[in-house]
Amino acid sequence: MTHVVHRPHPHDSGPLHVTGTAPYVDDLPTPANALHACFGLAPVGHATIDTLDLSAVWAAPGVVDVVTAADIPGENNAGPVIHDEPLLADGTILFPGQALFCVFAETRLAARKAARLFTLESTELPALTTVDEAVEAHSFLHGPLVFERGDVSKAIEDADYSSSSRLYIGGQEHFYLEGQGSLALPSADGLHIISSTQHPSEIQDLVAEALNISAAEVTVEVRRMGGAFGGKETQAAPLSIIAALGANRTGRAVRFRLDRDDDFVLTGKRHDFRADIRVGFDASGLIKGVDGILASRCGYGHDLSRAINDRAMFHADNAYFYPALELTSLRAKTHTVSNTAFRGFGGPQGMMLAERLVDKVAAAVHRDPLDVRLANLYNETDRSVTPYGMTIEDNVLPQLMPQLAETSDYRARRAAIIDANASAGRSPVRRGIALTPVRFGISFTTSFLNQAGALINIYKDGSILLNHGGTEMGQGLFVKVAQVAAEVLGVGLDDVKISSTRTDKVPNTSATAASSGSDLNGWAAKLAALELRNRLTAFWCAEQGIDGGLTFAQGRVSTEDGQSWPFAEVVRAAYMGRVSLSATGYYRTPKIDWDAKTGQGRPFLYFAYGAAVSEVEIDTLTGANRVIRADILHDVGRSLNPDIDHGQIEGGFVQGMGWLTMEELVYSARGDVLTHAPSTYKIPCASDRPDVLNIDLFDNANAEDTIFKSKAVGEPPLMLAISVHSALAHAVSSFSPRGRWPDLDAPATAEEILRTIATERTQAL
Amino acid sequence: MTQISMTVNGKAVSADVEDRTLLVSFIREHLGLTGTHVGCETSQCGACTVHVDGQAMKSCSMLAVMAQGAEITTIEGLAPSADTLHPVQEAFREHHGLQCGFCTPGMIMSAADMIRRYEGKLDEKTIREQLEGNLCRCTGYHNIVKAIEAAAETMAQSGETQTASA
Amino acid sequence: MYDVSYARVNAVPAAVDAFSKGDDPKYIAGGQTLIPTMKARLAAPSELVDVSRIEDLIGICEDGDVVIVGASTTHAAVNADALMNQRIPSVSALAGQIGDPMVRHRGTMGGSVANNDPSADYPAAVLALGATVRTDRRDILADDFFVDMFETALEEDELVTAIAFPVPKRAAYAKFPNPASRYAMVGVMVAELADGAIRVAVTGAGSSGVFRWTAAEKALAGSMDAQALDGLSVDADDMLEDLHGSGEYRAHLISVMTRRAVLAL
Repeated sequence: MTHVVHRPHPHDSGPLHVTGTAPYVDDLPTPANALHACFGLAPVGHATIDTLDLSAVWAAPGVVDVVTAADIPGENNAGPVIHDEPLLADGTILFPGQALFCVFAETRLAARKAARLFTLESTELPALTTVDEAVEAHSFLHGPLVFERGDVSKAIEDADYSSSSRLYIGGQEHFYLEGQGSLALPSADGLHIISSTQHPSEIQDLVAEALNISAAEVTVEVRRMGGAFGGKETQAAPLSIIAALGANRTGRAVRFRLDRDDDFVLTGKRHDFRADIRVGFDASGLIKGVDGILASRCGYGHDLSRAINDRAMFHADNAYFYPALELTSLRAKTHTVSNTAFRGFGGPQGMMLAERLVDKVAAAVHRDPLDVRLANLYNETDRSVTPYGMTIEDNVLPQLMPQLAETSDYRARRAAIIDANASAGRSPVRRGIALTPVRFGISFTTSFLNQAGALINIYKDGSILLNHGGTEMGQGLFVKVAQVAAEVLGVGLDDVKISSTRTDKVPNTSATAASSGSDLNGWAAKLAALELRNRLTAFWCAEQGIDGGLTFAQGRVSTEDGQSWPFAEVVRAAYMGRVSLSATGYYRTPKIDWDAKTGQGRPFLYFAYGAAVSEVEIDTLTGANRVIRADILHDVGRSLNPDIDHGQIEGGFVQGMGWLTMEELVYSARGDVLTHAPSTYKIPCASDRPDVLNIDLFDNANAEDTIFKSKAVGEPPLMLAISVHSALAHAVSSFSPRGRWPDLDAPATAEEILRTIATERTQAL
Repeated sequence: MTQISMTVNGKAVSADVEDRTLLVSFIREHLGLTGTHVGCETSQCGACTVHVDGQAMKSCSMLAVMAQGAEITTIEGLAPSADTLHPVQEAFREHHGLQCGFCTPGMIMSAADMIRRYEGKLDEKTIREQLEGNLCRCTGYHNIVKAIEAAAETMAQSGETQTASA
Repeated sequence: MYDVSYARVNAVPAAVDAFSKGDDPKYIAGGQTLIPTMKARLAAPSELVDVSRIEDLIGICEDGDVVIVGASTTHAAVNADALMNQRIPSVSALAGQIGDPMVRHRGTMGGSVANNDPSADYPAAVLALGATVRTDRRDILADDFFVDMFETALEEDELVTAIAFPVPKRAAYAKFPNPASRYAMVGVMVAELADGAIRVAVTGAGSSGVFRWTAAEKALAGSMDAQALDGLSVDADDMLEDLHGSGEYRAHLISVMTRRAVLAL
């Protein structure tokens, strides 16, 4: 029996958050002589720099230093994998708004004012902005990834039916409420950088490379982020590197916070995709072959685009077995901001392809899409191998989906909706419903990233300090890992002190990303705690002459025959007995083995599953739409903390709903992001949430040896919202001729819904 | 520069500020009350919400000089004393109405104002509508709404709704 | 934000006097549009004259069949006012749809009307109800007041002091908000005035700001029925076209929202 894990515990920072006393980077007291940094942004798109005159910037009041690319002693780079993302423009402007230089001034206002005083002469170059333009021009970051199985052309030709369609899937701005921010503090021992980042170790490396110093001279710390969602995995680096550069040059602290507008312009977003789909199927709706092309807008540089597009491919089947297939991934290089990680990391876009094709098939064979979905699911016998050669061993969807259909009363509601739509008459209201599954692979697909470390110190009074490589962005990682440490050491959660993530405590960490935070860091902390418990056990047994083991629970150390001592007493004695009370834990994920060159292997330790039923209503005269009800059944294994997991599911679903229905990024012809503030870019607000939202956890221990049999929960719930998009298309389909499924793109904004209704009405004529 | 004075969280404060200083900058930088957050800088997100003379307002859309003589309450001053929480704060903590916490202070200030205006008589739909000026990117709002419902009920029962923002 | 100097005044003459001494002054009340605009450096007045505390400009009263709203009355106050709710409920309801609660606590009717933002809500009410804009020096009829987007008949230093709304027989406002900003993408006020005249005013959509849709007025004068609008539409070429919606979409929404306003009468 467990005492601390598998139980609800509120967020550890809750008491601080509600009183406004939880500091974020920008809330930290500024050293008296701190400088403030501000980028000068390119007022043009793709162009060569002819001259850049900064004399007025230098002359502006309060300016202490100004740096350009030439002033970077080491590498002018913020690119995490491929070094193709300059910190400051060097000769060429690669996208509108790129940073040209950086000013360091006495006040934030002085820096901002000075940063506008440059004179740029440039020659504009042709710009590729959209996926369509880039694919047409064969502009790619690197070659395509292709998954193949069997003869897909033949499979589709031989099938009873086939369908072809194109789907555009929009991008998404992270809109973390706390914008990017960093504080660089110089000291005799090196640089101390406090950043709002998911990836302190990477910033440490990039700072060292840019400044030509050793990583050991750089410490990066993060206590908490005001949201991140993937947007602070690589995108936090430029600010921190430039702040470090300023601190190094001036010997003064440098504070750097981006304005929200600049944040929108400078930082990458979720990749928008174009999916071309050809599918062959039989009269029952069983898929025979799928030919799909996924093309994405990567922007000007690599960032994480390779891995993101790989993951789109890993999920282009979602939950369905494609007997014959050819899936191609094109990574379009454009002269726009370099797109980046965002919750789901390409997976959601891949799944959109799968769900769209299943809806197309179901419409064509006049079946309930749920039946077609169930019929095409992976099984554990003859239909269990994915396009990349991994055999699925833990599929719970054949149980989970019918269970959800039952509890949500899906069948009866669908029948009622179809009837109501048919008899709607002059009423402008139409409804739609859809049940869609999620099967999301858990592990970094870049295999070496699947490692983590933790450090636990027990002090003489029995108090425990926990540190690990994971970062807290609101997702509740810290409380979960603390639960693990408390459980193993048999103390209360309050006895474990949580501390900020620091590269000088736990080194060489991976980003807190890929939903892996508690899987990796939880295990690392467990191993550290087990090491300490073993040392205490060995010492105490010897000391007390105990045969057999000890149990650690509820703050006491006990023998099998009922003797027991307070934990703190045992600790104190162990110290006096010269036992080390500090231990590290190191974990690496087993079993994974993925070969990017052959496109085959096992990229994931396991899969997280879930499904959602969404019911929507559209106003067919204005295109306005809303989700009336959503029912979710989601598999988090044996939840480490059901309250935290519920929060992730709700938040992920609503964020996914925003992505697919209302969040629309608009670019100019030369690639400027025109929707660069919340006054033009709409994220869900409280009134957009479904009227009814029922969430249940699916009872299912992880088949793999994960931390206390739990499953990752950060990203998978976002994709439950694909049910909303499918339901909207269902509502629109009430205008379609029989057998047709509308080509509703994402986001399904009001105008997009009206456009699609108009198309379907024409088709019906 | 203009000398301004006002009452912030029950204490008289005065300072010389540039006229263009935003109220939120005054609160954060001059008074060091960093619980009031700057989220969007375009008057949309509500993270900077404070009470001015008893009403919720966005401190990023006001100049500090415009608050001359006003009574201001920030998140740090909402609780009746240092060792107790305001019922809305308690409800947000207890009902998991927060994740990253960045929007939380603004949410709580809006919620307290809403409970005052509706004298605690709030249904879920009204809460959702009245929260339109506060954005949260983490929670999906579910637990935030639950927390406000619970706080409204607690306060209505104890007759505190009249003094929610005092 | 550029540098600016600020002065609060307590009376109308003092406001006009302070204004006359400025280099490039602006009146400010709630500042819910002006301050964000100044922060974005899209406006850079050198002086702000704060009229939000002038007591004469705050409050709502009636004078026979006219409801008079002081220019510095906030949207929240208009929304909650018992008299307005009783006499012209469509205006109180409209006020409750502006922005969000925090904006409504500060933003004022005078500020909104004087600014004449093409997406603001109040101009539709002022124009549809045939209201009179009262200033420190004269009365201006709504039909003469709104000139073009962000442009009114006000002289440079002229201060709006009140808006006088004749109580209509009935009126209703239907709004399709911009999902992000909550400004009107299209807002339509349909009113049947005391003398039986029908007026239809549209905000959010016109490329010259708020306008009267006279064809709809004529059709509704024949029969106050949504079906009377069948076949009528505004010219998409005259509509705003931006990243939130095409001119065609806005033109379409005008037809839809006008019908809905009629149905809500």
